[in-house]
Amino acid sequence: MDIAIYALSEYAVTMEFSVVIDGSVADLISRFNAHLLQHPFPGLQTLVPAYGSLTIVFDPLVVVQATILPGSDCLEKVSTFLKVSFNQFDQETVRKSAAVIKNIPVCYGGGYGPDLDYLASILALTTNEVVQLHSSAIYRVFMIGFVPGFAYLGGLDHRLEIARKGTPRNSVPAGSVGIAGKQTGIYSLETPGGWQIIGRTPLRMFDANRKEPVLLKAGDRVSFTTITEKEFNQYKEARCE
Amino acid sequence: MRIKFVKPGLLTTIQDQGRWNYLALGVPVSGAMDALAANMASIVLGNEKGSAVLEFTYAGACFETETAILMAYAGGGAVMRINDRDLPILRPVYVPAGALVTLIKSPEGCRTYMAVAGGWNIPVVLGSRSTYLPARFGGYQGRAIQAGDVIGAVRNFSDSTRQILKSLQGNLLKFTSWSMAAQQFLPANRFQIRVVPGREFTWFEGGSLVSFLTKPYTLDLRSDRMGYQLNGTQMLRSVKKELLSTATLPGTIQVTGDGRLVILMVDGQTTGGYPRIAHVAMVDLPLCGQLKPGDQIQFSEISAVEAEILWLDRSYQLQKLEIALTNKLNNRDNLWR
Repeated sequence: MDIAIYALSEYAVTMEFSVVIDGSVADLISRFNAHLLQHPFPGLQTLVPAYGSLTIVFDPLVVVQATILPGSDCLEKVSTFLKVSFNQFDQETVRKSAAVIKNIPVCYGGGYGPDLDYLASILALTTNEVVQLHSSAIYRVFMIGFVPGFAYLGGLDHRLEIARKGTPRNSVPAGSVGIAGKQTGIYSLETPGGWQIIGRTPLRMFDANRKEPVLLKAGDRVSFTTITEKEFNQYKEARCE
Repeated sequence: MRIKFVKPGLLTTIQDQGRWNYLALGVPVSGAMDALAANMASIVLGNEKGSAVLEFTYAGACFETETAILMAYAGGGAVMRINDRDLPILRPVYVPAGALVTLIKSPEGCRTYMAVAGGWNIPVVLGSRSTYLPARFGGYQGRAIQAGDVIGAVRNFSDSTRQILKSLQGNLLKFTSWSMAAQQFLPANRFQIRVVPGREFTWFEGGSLVSFLTKPYTLDLRSDRMGYQLNGTQMLRSVKKELLSTATLPGTIQVTGDGRLVILMVDGQTTGGYPRIAHVAMVDLPLCGQLKPGDQIQFSEISAVEAEILWLDRSYQLQKLEIALTNKLNNRDNLWR
């Protein structure tokens, strides 16, 4: 596998595995991410997986003084370590833990999914068909980005692909489930946004004060279940809101 | 040690060295925009580097000392004043209880950092005390400081801090005879920003790249802790490939669809899909933290290796300052005057 490694900053390098979206590459990145966390180099700070890349953030002061890392500068030291580590890391026999599918309840349409009718008419489907297609697929979390906890999901049925809104909304409520191109995703916080909104989950996707701040992480599998507005409110009440 | 805000100023938040371990969850680094000034304010007091400081934006804020405090400030956003007396920067200052401290306009920069002995007592959220306003967490109740807010210091002083406090405390406004020699950190031209070519540098036309490295760029009004939009010569693409979203960091310089340059700052999003023409050398990111809309900057190119050497050198200099403070307090003078 041809992996490019480049400096993103004085304190970060990026490993570029693929320049196109590919599920098997995403799985490989997730596994290597886990491998690096178990077998870190001195000075490793944190890892940031994305669609086709893994970014490694480190403390240059520690790296440059780490004599066990061969090389003269941080880029050389870290890249050498990463290449060796990737070669040693067994891509095939890594135990493939049966991926747990996380379920997200969604109330589709109405006030929670203001673009559902529009989307159905443009795609020449009924709203029921849109909901059916969206809630019957199993998605993969490719990346968390944009804002804390915003999960980019791949695996959308091609019949649901639709362009972003011409003019983004100034405010999209937290929990909104949207579609943009080949992706679907959940707005974790109230932010401006241009995705076509088809529903909303009552779950809080991001909470800084929770032990586990996010519900979804890169590499997770996700499915959606249809709930009624009444059930949506029950979820909210159960959270004491 | 405790202060109460009378006027909050334009934007006053608690910041520290940033929140580094949650980038994979989409949580930005945050922290002080001018991390160098923030660090210097802490170091001069004998606080740990990266302890919580107040970040003031421009002048206008005003606070009252509810108890006596030992403080220090740095950064060019404002001058602190009590009555008609300007407080010296980069120097431990002992302010008695009941004093009214006002931030007065300074032509220099944008942000001022205030450290208090022990560091501000603020709960840690996701490994940091930094305020991240877009998601309303961290810092003082996840928000900017408002009038009436009271914040206090951690009652856990280093030996150096205790020594400084002992030498200054009483009923009067007092400061040390010495200050931090910070000239070594200040470049001749603080609008000259050194950059390292980015991954997609070669995706732009030669003429655009020449403009990027020679022409001035002006900060647009749409510039904040998340990032700076720049006005100036448009960047034209020679390679029109799509980029898959990948990690971005403070200092990453992106080019948006309309050919405009954007510098991501500390609250910037953790991933992005715009081509990265360059990144600001870490050593110059604090300079960017002092920029304000309308400021004109010019980029100059350095190599990645050069940028790393400069950054390591800066880190060693800061370590030396910390050691030098201990020496100074024990009459072994060198870096302090």
